[in-house]
Amino acid sequence: MSTPVITKPVPDAVAKQGPTVAQRVTSFMPVIALVSLVVALSVADPSFLTQSQLTAAVKTSAPLVVLAAGATLVVLCGGIDLSIAAMCSLSTVFFALWLPDLGGLTTLAVVAAAAALGAVQGLAHVLLRIPSFIVTLGGMSIFGAVALVISDAGPIRIVSDDRGTTAWLNTFVGGYVPMSFFVALLVVAVISLVLKFTPLQSWITATGFSESAARLAGAPVDYVKVMAFTISGACAGLAAVMLVSRNFSGSPTSADNLLLPAVAAIVVGGTAITGGHGSLWRSLCGALVITLLRVGLPIVGVPSAWEQILYGAIIVTAVALTLDRSKVLIIK
Amino acid sequence: MSIDFQSETEPASTAAVPALEVRGLVKHYPGVKALDGVDLVVHPHEVLGLAGENGAGKSTLLKALVGLVKPDAGDIYVRGEKVRLRSVVDAATHGIGMVFQEQSLVPNLTAAENIVLGSEGRGVRGGVYRWATMRKLAQEQLDKIGSHIDPLARTDTLSFADRQMVEIAKVLRIEQRSQHPPVIILDEPTSVLESKEIETLFTQVRRLREFASVVFVSHRLDEVLDVCDRVSVLRGGQSVGEVATADAEPSDLHRMMIGSTGSDDHYHDGATADRAQQRPMLEVRGLSGKTFKDVDLDVRAGEIVGIVGVHGSGREDVCRALFGAEPTTSGTVVLDGDKLTLSGTRAACAAGIGYVPAERKVEGMVGPMSVADNMTFAKQSSRCNGPVVAPKKQATLVDGWIERLSIRTPHRGTAIQRLSGGNQQKVVLARWLVSGDVKLLLLDHPTRGLDIGARSEVYRLMRELASNGVATVLLADSLEEAIGMSDRIIVMNDGRATKHVDCPSGAKPTPLDLVKEMV
Repeated sequence: MSTPVITKPVPDAVAKQGPTVAQRVTSFMPVIALVSLVVALSVADPSFLTQSQLTAAVKTSAPLVVLAAGATLVVLCGGIDLSIAAMCSLSTVFFALWLPDLGGLTTLAVVAAAAALGAVQGLAHVLLRIPSFIVTLGGMSIFGAVALVISDAGPIRIVSDDRGTTAWLNTFVGGYVPMSFFVALLVVAVISLVLKFTPLQSWITATGFSESAARLAGAPVDYVKVMAFTISGACAGLAAVMLVSRNFSGSPTSADNLLLPAVAAIVVGGTAITGGHGSLWRSLCGALVITLLRVGLPIVGVPSAWEQILYGAIIVTAVALTLDRSKVLIIK
Repeated sequence: MSIDFQSETEPASTAAVPALEVRGLVKHYPGVKALDGVDLVVHPHEVLGLAGENGAGKSTLLKALVGLVKPDAGDIYVRGEKVRLRSVVDAATHGIGMVFQEQSLVPNLTAAENIVLGSEGRGVRGGVYRWATMRKLAQEQLDKIGSHIDPLARTDTLSFADRQMVEIAKVLRIEQRSQHPPVIILDEPTSVLESKEIETLFTQVRRLREFASVVFVSHRLDEVLDVCDRVSVLRGGQSVGEVATADAEPSDLHRMMIGSTGSDDHYHDGATADRAQQRPMLEVRGLSGKTFKDVDLDVRAGEIVGIVGVHGSGREDVCRALFGAEPTTSGTVVLDGDKLTLSGTRAACAAGIGYVPAERKVEGMVGPMSVADNMTFAKQSSRCNGPVVAPKKQATLVDGWIERLSIRTPHRGTAIQRLSGGNQQKVVLARWLVSGDVKLLLLDHPTRGLDIGARSEVYRLMRELASNGVATVLLADSLEEAIGMSDRIIVMNDGRATKHVDCPSGAKPTPLDLVKEMV
């Protein structure tokens, strides 16, 4: 191609350059927030920084990490998935009911069923053009009610003979890392890498920032959204298996108290609730921060009334630190 | 450029003191020196033009004048008094207001509410809206500019031109805050107006001069010369001079803006001989949709076909329908021998159609995403090996196009929103070129908001694509552009293609010929 009529000389100062130091620091803010919290808790009570405490904390965090990771995809697309906790509860009931028949295949079946329910929500959102907030609010109510109906409104215990199916989640990797947390890390890593090394990252980002621009460039916006809801559902199913491995029962309300912590984890990680900007790694950090606050504050001896106050204050402070305002134009 | 340094020590007559003065303004962005010692003087009751290419620093200067950008060095004086502007409200207090290029009205409020929004004054008493007072206040503003817009009309029901009048009325509210004649800045006010509306706007600007100073920014040099008393020219973040409009030609201004003589052949018409092949690329028969009916359209390979029509002619919708972004009710579309389903944008992309939307910032690009990711966005395969993204392949490809199109960006990883408009548009165009398989380009106002240099480069690019056999459908920014660029022009009227006009090089119709067909 020939040169354009008017060539503008590029000044030397405008040579190749990457992100500035400040931008790099901003992108590490979730990690910095997490480390600061660990340091603060250790200072308040030096016995916090022991292997058993930390192991217990990360093990507790595993279902939350998985839930938040899946929902992060939906948030990145500019939507929200409010059904994850109810879906997770329902999945624990599925697990308990199917385990006697399916045995070792139960985990796969539950994850697949939850993924299918997620896909249905995604399709409803995309095809019927209903806001994701409403679709998943409806989903939350329906899944919660179905779980109550099929479980006769009570926990279903897993008999001792069947507990072997989930026993692997209670093992340790390398003797230190709880298997459930390792699986959670694996989920975050695999999804993150798939995003990074395929066009999905671009499509999700563009969908979140400007859906019309994504569509007009031929991006498969609808597929991407349905996929996000599907993965969010699958993650809820996997989180359910983790809960069952811990409680040895399926209960229609077992995960209901995880919805707001999961949303908080996503936001504390610095993912923009308006879509486009964020990552699963951020949500991992966010989920750890939330879990550490939940289990750490009582351990270091904060009175329970003060616990809620600190919890709220720290979450707001964490978001103030982690949200990269240069990437998010309007803060709603 | 001569600066009246006396003004600082000469408080005597107010007439001699400039309404607004800027001295040695400097603003750095990472990797870019946006302003590099800019001087500017605006006298009372004067219309000052501000000219300069994209990236010359106009936008940054204007933003500094209304407190949206904090300069690194230099001073701003209002009526001889040094001021520091921290916000738009601050600027308004000093009597400086701006009509933004992208309109800043709230669409679901009435014109009256928009006009008083943020400066309700007597319109609110005890925290309660007083509708009658508000309406009166708004009416006063509209009367001031002689507009007949109904203050109770919802803003989104108004035409673009009317909305602009509402903006001007809104900006004039700053008179209430300052006891002195205000300085009104108009940033690219004509870029999306039809020619009749532009005339109305100019009448308005001349009216404004009676009680205000005006800073007028436009890429259309003939307009600048027409409406302004004096023009100040920026280049590369510096003031390079000013001219009195009485004895200046557009070419003089252009020379100052680019630092050398521009090409006379603005539309690169000379480069077009024999480019149109006989092979039909696009054949549209009886295409109908919500806003258009029975449209026939043929574009041969290497041909540029312009569609002209007034607002509401349906030409934008035809364009979007061809890209699968607008539903159709009947008709057939054949591209390069294959019948298209028009089922959606993804199918259109796969078939080899590229679309450049008019609203670049909202629909054309993903602002916070990098130049590289924006450029390869539509053709993901161009940066992948199989299903996997290959960063090196992408880097090589993108850097190649950055150089070929001389896109001015600090880095391929820079967010596209930090580039100037012309460079953004080149990235958006490059999006369809990276894979080399585009057959049909649909260009919806591809030069909207671009300066003369960037326009010229876009024209050049269109010519090159045409000579490579790409068929182009052009919705031009102006009739002159449509005539200059097109081989054939189709006139649309009320959703129908009413007239085909041949537009060969050397035998171009005049704008007047086309206007007769359009109304």
